[in-house]
Amino acid sequence: MTDVPITPDPEPVVPAARRGRGPRLTAFRHLRQGIAAIGVKELRGRMRGRRAFVILTIYLVLLGGFAWMVELIMERAYSSGFGVSGGTASASIGQGIFAALLMLETLQVAFLAPASTAGSVSQEREKQTLELLVVTPISSLAMVIGKLFSALIYVWLLIAASIPLTAIVFVYGGVAPDDVVRGYIVLIVTALGFGAMGLLASSLVKRTQAAIAMSVFSVLFLSIGTLFLLVFWQAMGSSDNGRGVGPIKGSPPQVLAYLNPFIAQVDVLCGTESSFGIWCSLESGLIPNRNGVIFQPGSGSDQAVPLPAPAGIGTGGFVAGDNGTTIDTTAMSPDDIQVLQRKLAIANGGQFAVPADVVPFGVTRDALWPKSVVTWFVLAVLFLVVSAQFVSPTRRWRLRRGPRAEGNEA
Amino acid sequence: MSAIVQTQGLVKRYDRTVAVAGIDLSIGEGEIFGLVGPNGAGKTTTLRMLATLLRPSAGRAEIAGWSVTRNPDEARRVLGFMPDAFGVYDDMKVWEYLDFFARCYGLPPATRRRMIGDLLELVDLGDRRDAYVQTLSRGMQQRLCLAHALVHDPAVLLLDEPASGLDPRARVELRELLRELRSMGKTIVISSHILPELEELCTSVAIVDRGQVLAQGRVADIEKRLRFGAVLRVRVLLEDDALEASRGWFAADQDVAGAVIMPDGTIELGFRGDDAASARLLAASVAAGLPIVSFARAASDLEELFLQVTSPDREPSEAA
Repeated sequence: MTDVPITPDPEPVVPAARRGRGPRLTAFRHLRQGIAAIGVKELRGRMRGRRAFVILTIYLVLLGGFAWMVELIMERAYSSGFGVSGGTASASIGQGIFAALLMLETLQVAFLAPASTAGSVSQEREKQTLELLVVTPISSLAMVIGKLFSALIYVWLLIAASIPLTAIVFVYGGVAPDDVVRGYIVLIVTALGFGAMGLLASSLVKRTQAAIAMSVFSVLFLSIGTLFLLVFWQAMGSSDNGRGVGPIKGSPPQVLAYLNPFIAQVDVLCGTESSFGIWCSLESGLIPNRNGVIFQPGSGSDQAVPLPAPAGIGTGGFVAGDNGTTIDTTAMSPDDIQVLQRKLAIANGGQFAVPADVVPFGVTRDALWPKSVVTWFVLAVLFLVVSAQFVSPTRRWRLRRGPRAEGNEA
Repeated sequence: MSAIVQTQGLVKRYDRTVAVAGIDLSIGEGEIFGLVGPNGAGKTTTLRMLATLLRPSAGRAEIAGWSVTRNPDEARRVLGFMPDAFGVYDDMKVWEYLDFFARCYGLPPATRRRMIGDLLELVDLGDRRDAYVQTLSRGMQQRLCLAHALVHDPAVLLLDEPASGLDPRARVELRELLRELRSMGKTIVISSHILPELEELCTSVAIVDRGQVLAQGRVADIEKRLRFGAVLRVRVLLEDDALEASRGWFAADQDVAGAVIMPDGTIELGFRGDDAASARLLAASVAAGLPIVSFARAASDLEELFLQVTSPDREPSEAA
């Protein structure tokens, strides 16, 4: 039997109902209908009965208990009195509670969001319901968008329900409303990005278990792995005072920091601090060219080298360098720093540059979390598009070649 | 009668195997078309290509004029597909199940409500409206799945082994349902390896083996075209030597290819002749004084035909 090549079909007659509508408008309408269909179906299943609301209640009780315990710890710490005035203590307690709640919620979102999407496509494969769905005119994109958002609605509901609890910090002070808004923006977008990641895992593999395992390992990499890589890179890069003799030169790629929602929250928390506190120093330890860091891009040694100028250097993380090469001065003795300062000043003819967005030793706001938010938003879109490709049975991309189980049986 | 489902040289190749090796089908409007063949013949692959779930390696397939490769969305709107193995969603009521698929086809709310009521009546699940889908019996789930394939009132229904796993009563109900759907003007394509059902139900069949159509057309036509002979089962009121002697008498007839005594005492004749010849043989045997108890053609026609056509010792096709 000779194969007949696929020849272009004659254009079929367009049914009357479809005439007169712009193809783009129709496509958009179909997408919206598809998302709505999937969303209604998923939400009916997820929100049925009391389960969803019992979980919400337990969650809030636990979160409230946690906040109360943190408050007690902070209170004990400050009542032992190290010359902290009452007003500052209250603000510090507020900041402490805020930090604890924000980190806990980030942890919860980082695991809950992918866990709630990791089964969405693979479960349909396991239960053999995916095909019933694919033969409907619903597009793959509508399917994955509908599934992602119906899963995320519950995660977002948990986040939203925690807002009144987080608002407790306003009683103590030390945290401005816009700090809370920043933290919640990071939470919401992290849920979106991590949820899309779980969905991608679900569309790639056949088994839900495998999808969950993939998601958990990805979350671990993004939260602990990136942190470790940053610390490692930083240690390697600055062990020889940035001369670049070691195996790794320069500062670590900042993308690693953008991928970690916890570091984004550290940045938000750094914004609550009025001076160079623990969150800011933690952040500057990981991402060198910000707070207290003077950095100027240059392409050669003959160009102006950024210089540390202000006196009192060494009280905070202070790094100088060129071409992204950094010198961590936190571990240096004041004498060494002075020597370094002098050397650099001589090399540059006494010039130094301070980029406009960096306030030496002050607090630079919003240096990192907006980038993290943008990164995760872009990744979420990317994950969705790739997931849609892998949901469609007649897709062009395949993970592996060879007969698939779905087509093997005849 | 114009063809509503048409394939031309439809091929599905996997790395080393050819599941479907060039199938040409032409199915008229309002037909119940049976796709018959042993397991692994390419029936499911063919149906899945028609249902836009698999991309053909070559060839073309059209449903109501829409190409399944070039206009899959349009094709999906005119076809209803019920796969061989399908699952149901947990945590979903019967009406929600149908409502979900109706939404997938973008039906407006009023139409959806009416359609769900009508369909549940049609598949006899009207009293199970608020039951959870996973609590239904297998037969009910099968009917619900059939109902889901009908929410958008498709012109063509593709049913892959719809009777598998059903008890006899459920099968009878399914058959009645399919007849009713046909009377509503639907074209139904059914695949099966269970023949007696198709024989009664189908207006046309295609016998498929190793990815190729061996015979296609009305059941009676195929029978005529592919008649290799039939098996006659004769019961004679004789024993031992006398029985052996009567076997010898039958074996000597010009239209009998062979005669064997079965363990139960009947004689099976490989018979080459037509009905007139078998009448002559019966008359001759009675005239010869043999005490004939019964004289009948064995097995159902289509089944016999099927076994002959798809016998394993048949020359393997070039594609297999």
